[in-house]
Amino acid sequence: MLEVRNISKSFSGIQVLDDVTLDVRRGEVHALVGENGAGKSTLMNIVSGVVPPDSGQILWDNRPVRLEGPRQAQAMGISFVHQELALVPPLSVAENVFLGRHPATKGFVNFREMHGATQRVLSDLGREIDPRRRVSELSLAEKQLVEIARAVAFESRLIIMDEPTAPLAEHDAAALFRSIRLLRARGVGLIYISHRLKEIFEIADRVSVLRDGRHVSTQPTEEVSHQTLVRAMIGTDLKEQLGSSAAGSTQFDEALRIQGSINLTLRRGEIVGLAGLAGAGRTHLLEWLFGARGTRAADVFVHGRRARLCTPLDAVRNGFALVPDDRKTKGLILGASVLWNMALASGRSRFFIHRSHEKQAAQQWIRALRINVAGLNKPAVYLSGGAQQKVVLAKWLLAGARVFLLDEPTRGIDVRAKAEISDIIRTLAGDGAAVLLASSELEELMALADRIIVMHRGRIAGELTRAEATEEQIMHLATGGAY
Amino acid sequence: MSQAAPPATAAKPRPVLSPATVLRRFGPLLGLLLLCGVLGGASDRFLTADNLLNILRQSAVNLLVSLGQLVVIITAGIDLSVGSILGLCCVMVALLMHVGVPPLISVAVALAIGAALGAINGILLTKLHLPHPFIPTLGMMNVARGLALVISGGFPISELPSGFRFWGAGSIGWIPAPVILVLLFCTAFSIFLNRTTIGRDLYAIGGSPQAARLSGVPVDARLILVYALSGLTAAAGAMVLAGRMNSGFPLAGVGGELDSIAAVVIGGASFLGGVGLVSGTVVGALIMGVLRNGLNLLNVSPAWQTVVIGLVIVAAVWVDVVRQRASERGQE
Repeated sequence: MLEVRNISKSFSGIQVLDDVTLDVRRGEVHALVGENGAGKSTLMNIVSGVVPPDSGQILWDNRPVRLEGPRQAQAMGISFVHQELALVPPLSVAENVFLGRHPATKGFVNFREMHGATQRVLSDLGREIDPRRRVSELSLAEKQLVEIARAVAFESRLIIMDEPTAPLAEHDAAALFRSIRLLRARGVGLIYISHRLKEIFEIADRVSVLRDGRHVSTQPTEEVSHQTLVRAMIGTDLKEQLGSSAAGSTQFDEALRIQGSINLTLRRGEIVGLAGLAGAGRTHLLEWLFGARGTRAADVFVHGRRARLCTPLDAVRNGFALVPDDRKTKGLILGASVLWNMALASGRSRFFIHRSHEKQAAQQWIRALRINVAGLNKPAVYLSGGAQQKVVLAKWLLAGARVFLLDEPTRGIDVRAKAEISDIIRTLAGDGAAVLLASSELEELMALADRIIVMHRGRIAGELTRAEATEEQIMHLATGGAY
Repeated sequence: MSQAAPPATAAKPRPVLSPATVLRRFGPLLGLLLLCGVLGGASDRFLTADNLLNILRQSAVNLLVSLGQLVVIITAGIDLSVGSILGLCCVMVALLMHVGVPPLISVAVALAIGAALGAINGILLTKLHLPHPFIPTLGMMNVARGLALVISGGFPISELPSGFRFWGAGSIGWIPAPVILVLLFCTAFSIFLNRTTIGRDLYAIGGSPQAARLSGVPVDARLILVYALSGLTAAAGAMVLAGRMNSGFPLAGVGGELDSIAAVVIGGASFLGGVGLVSGTVVGALIMGVLRNGLNLLNVSPAWQTVVIGLVIVAAVWVDVVRQRASERGQE
């Protein structure tokens, strides 16, 4: 159906794509994997008409085409479901699906037709959402579905999905996969970009690997293993894969204890996982612990002493660190320099800034965490996702934090950075810090955590030791099963 | 200033002053010099020492008010009440001196009133959770102007002590006293914004209030301080104006909020917050002062002056947007 041949593209002298050839068949889920910077986004931008290639050909139904812009690609039947959803929150589901081309008679919107068509499209995707509901009221998973419904309503024959499951919890992801399978059964071709290899084995028919702008391989999914894929993506074996290690549970001192509506103890040198479905209250719990969500009926003890944690400033003073779920709005000041971001949580007890001291400390952490920055004075917005997340971590290391609350620290970052951040988390615990790690990726939790606390509807549904924890056990608790 | 710091990574030397950097850092200044050149060519009375000192004296009030406005705009806020606070403080200081309060104490009380009204703006914004600083400062704008008219009965209070008038009308050597006062304020604000942890918090709040809060910045306390500072500089502007005019008049500073916003924005600060320098604001205020003065010398009517200033504001910000886009493209 779609074929790209010998595509090359360079931006300001840097070769981003080098002679890439790829094809997508009717009714196929074609996974595209590679590290950040491997050229996936550029390739997809070319396919969806956002940027023109320098050389090479795009064939659509075996005919060469020139894409003049995203509108033309869309008219041909190619849709791109972006990671940052392009929806208008105050409008209804149906209005979003038909945004910009409402069915109308003589200039008046035909609401009945619009709602009916929306309902049909959504039920084709195997899900029921009232077309009259406002998008702002929907869950993330539902919003994503609306975005996909829009592509389907456009009668798209090729849908590109960029990390669709990154913000989703596992059971929402499962629902998304059902929708994808329904689309596939109707002959729609899908290009599926993801960093979660496990999903690729679950959903994809074929998988292509890009590395440094070059096409490495395309194979049916049954013929590749997790190991071979990772090797193809990074070129060599990762020194340390997720898993194994983690310090054997020795004698831990109590670092944090909460008593009241929620009971939880965190010890020094320990990594405690926090599992749960989306909306189970993990983010709320972490932000509340950090003093960012007002008070609640519970007593908090830090290192055995009772502490008042009413504001984030209180938490910082007590040695807490929060790595928030959304690093771009909550973790970083994107327009400010790397140095400023790193220094943001420290030195508040002084009146004047101690610049040389700060710079020295920042450089030390940049080396220690191997953060890939062009310069301390470059705005954080230009960093890769992995580097941004490390800057957030460095901010707290600079502030001397001892209790780390991590909310999805590896969301949306590439395999290598993910492994590095996992290493950093282990090192933190090894140095005696206490870590509370919330993650939607059960694999990650089981690889890192000494214990896993499972949340369900704002409460702790149960706790599993490293030895007890299996995916089934966790999902059982997370979906409200008895302990 | 933070931008002026040398590149941190020694491994990658880069030219210290590339053309783009020059344009970015000195763009408003180049505009000011160009403007002076043009006006100097058009009128032989423009480029005289007397006239230039006169411009500085006339710009002093707006500059003082603009410093407070700058701090507010850095936090992504806006203060519409500064003109009215200036008017109220102008009346108050004159009134106090007229009833026999010593000048020094009168000034202290007037400054305190300005800071307090500003702090109220900040408290309304943060504690009452009003949706945008536009609302509390719009309210304060009306309240303060109304009070100024009520207290003065609508009439100017003239004939002030000479010691007080010195800071508006006097000179030290050949330098106008208000210019020295403004220099002191500028230096203090520049150090405050660039060298102190509180100053850095303000840029952080403007850049991303959420990230700032979750990094331990006490956002509410900082915002209250910011609006108090803005009220304080408005009151300081009132002292200079009352001194220069030898009068406390209730309509002092009408439109002052807009002049100060214009100076800050021409000086390269962003309404989106997180960006803005004292040096830029100084240049912005001077551009406004030079324009008014030059157009006066050329006998342009006040009505047309307003039109020109309106165009300059829009043009200055547009140039800034173009420059920003170019530098972003360069970074990618």
